Formats: sequence, structure tokens, C-alpha cells
Amino acid sequence: MHIYAFGSVCRGDVSPGSDIDLLAVVQGHDPRFSPDDYSIYSYERIREIWAEGNPFAWHLAIESKLLYSCNESDFLKSLGKPTAYKNCLQDCEKFFALFKKARASFESQAESKVFDLSMVFLAIRNFATCFSLGTLDKPDFSRSSALRLGKHTLSIPGDAYKVLERSRILCTRAIGEPVSDGEAQVAFGQFSRIEEWMKGLLARVGNGAARI
Amino acid sequence: MQHEFNNRIAAQRAILRVINRKSWSSEQLFGLSSKAIDRWVSVNHIESGSELVKLIRDVSAKMFFLANKSQEQVSDEYTAVRVEIAAACDAIRIELEGAAV
Repeated sequence: MHIYAFGSVCRGDVSPGSDIDLLAVVQGHDPRFSPDDYSIYSYERIREIWAEGNPFAWHLAIESKLLYSCNESDFLKSLGKPTAYKNCLQDCEKFFALFKKARASFESQAESKVFDLSMVFLAIRNFATCFSLGTLDKPDFSRSSALRLGKHTLSIPGDAYKVLERSRILCTRAIGEPVSDGEAQVAFGQFSRIEEWMKGLLARVGNGAARI
Repeated sequence: MQHEFNNRIAAQRAILRVINRKSWSSEQLFGLSSKAIDRWVSVNHIESGSELVKLIRDVSAKMFFLANKSQEQVSDEYTAVRVEIAAACDAIRIELEGAAV
């Protein structure tokens, strides 16, 4: 068993709203670890994502710290660098599809708007992270990756972005004030701009900007 | 493989829609994490041992199973869990229609 911290705490990028991301690498099922508190992976699966050049493998390779090792080895370090990231276009398309489904759902019903806003945030964040990993010199795995892309940064008002981020935290860690209908509409008002931003970056990746 | 991630989100959305179709006294259920379920149970004063809450916690656990398996090849076990999630969605709908929670 190996336990790692990764993400914001390893970057020193902490704030009152940030949590501590923990990874447990285990052999088989280990009931000591709750999926609410840990990302739980088998050794085999970690080796697979390393070989795939999966963005999460790159995230761990760049931003993780060993907390516990059952045998004093650093398992992730022993794997070296993951395979080069090749799926930038497919991953960005996947998160664009996630955004479009969340938008369509938001527009068609009133029951789970916070969840849809949360999925918009997830789509924006993951899209930006994959774009940065595939095309920029320095990948950004932070929660605010979409706001840290230099000239490619998502430009929407801060209050709308905060509503999306709050929705994500409500859906996962369940902390924070509920999102009001008015706040939801503020975020919704930026959906077209978000879609245009994604389309623009997708065109760029599709035209060969990805660093392969 | 690329579609599994979005399919899992769609399944979660479908379950939340069923649950949130009912007008809860304080807050809708925001997500299927344990913490989100805990909050929803608490703020709406729902009986934590009710059949509905058990069903939702069960489907939440299955979702996490799929999340951990989502990048892997589809196995018999994976397929079985997807069928179970669809059945759980129906069971939640029936429970909401038939019981005062």
C-alpha cells in the first residue's frame, strides 16, 4: 500500500476552500479507504494510466508527494515519466460534450440545476487542464486552470465563475451556501461565451497545436 | 472508453432528476457523494434509516465503483453494476411515488 498527497497542497496553492487530495494505491479491495476521501487505484491501473499517458498520470507525476509506503519504496517515482500525452483532442472533445449535455439539461429542467452547473465547472476545468497539458509548456492541474491559460484564458465575470465553482463544491464536498435561482441565471448567462471559448480552443487543437 | 465518463455523468443526472422532481422542504440533492447525501438528509430532516436513503446510498456506492472502473475494459462485473444502477433508479422512483418520506 502507498499513500500520496497530490494537487493543491503539493503546489502550496491552498485557500480556505481547498481540500487535500489523497491517493491510495492498493492491492485488491481495501475497505479501509473510503472513495469519499481517497482516489483509490490498483497498482495495475496506475501502471496502465502511465502507459496511456493519461492526464491523471501526468498530474501525479508532476504534483504528488509520498506520505506512506509499505516497503519504503516510492512507487510512482519508480515508474518514471508517463508516456507522452497524445489524446488532447479526444479529451477536449469529451469535456466539450460534457458541457453541452449539462447546458442542454440546465435549459430543459428545473430539478437539478446545481448539478448541471457543477458539471459545467468540471467540463471547463478538465478541458483547460487537458488543453494546457497538450499544447502549453506548463500544464495546469489546478481548480482554476481555465483562468491560467495566458492568452487562451476563459474570460467570464468572476461572479459567474464563482457560482460554477461553488456548485461543484456543493455536489462533492457538500459545503457552502446553496445556489439561488438568481445566481444560477448569472452563471447561465455565460454559457454561450464558455461554448465559444471551448470551440476556439478545440479548433486550435484540431489544427495541430497539440504538442505530441 | 471515451464515452464511459459522460455516460456515468448521464446516469447520475438521471437519478438526481428522479429524486429532485419531488419538492424537498429545504434543499435539492446536489450530488451523489456521501457528503452530499448526508447534507440532503440533514437539512430536509429525512429519516436516515428510510428505504429511500438506503437506496440512494446504495446507488452512490455503485457510482463510485463505476468511477474507479471507468477507464477499464468493460467486464461482466462492470456491466452488472450498470444494470443494477438502472434498476436502483426505478426503485427510487417507485419509493418516491409510494412513500411519504
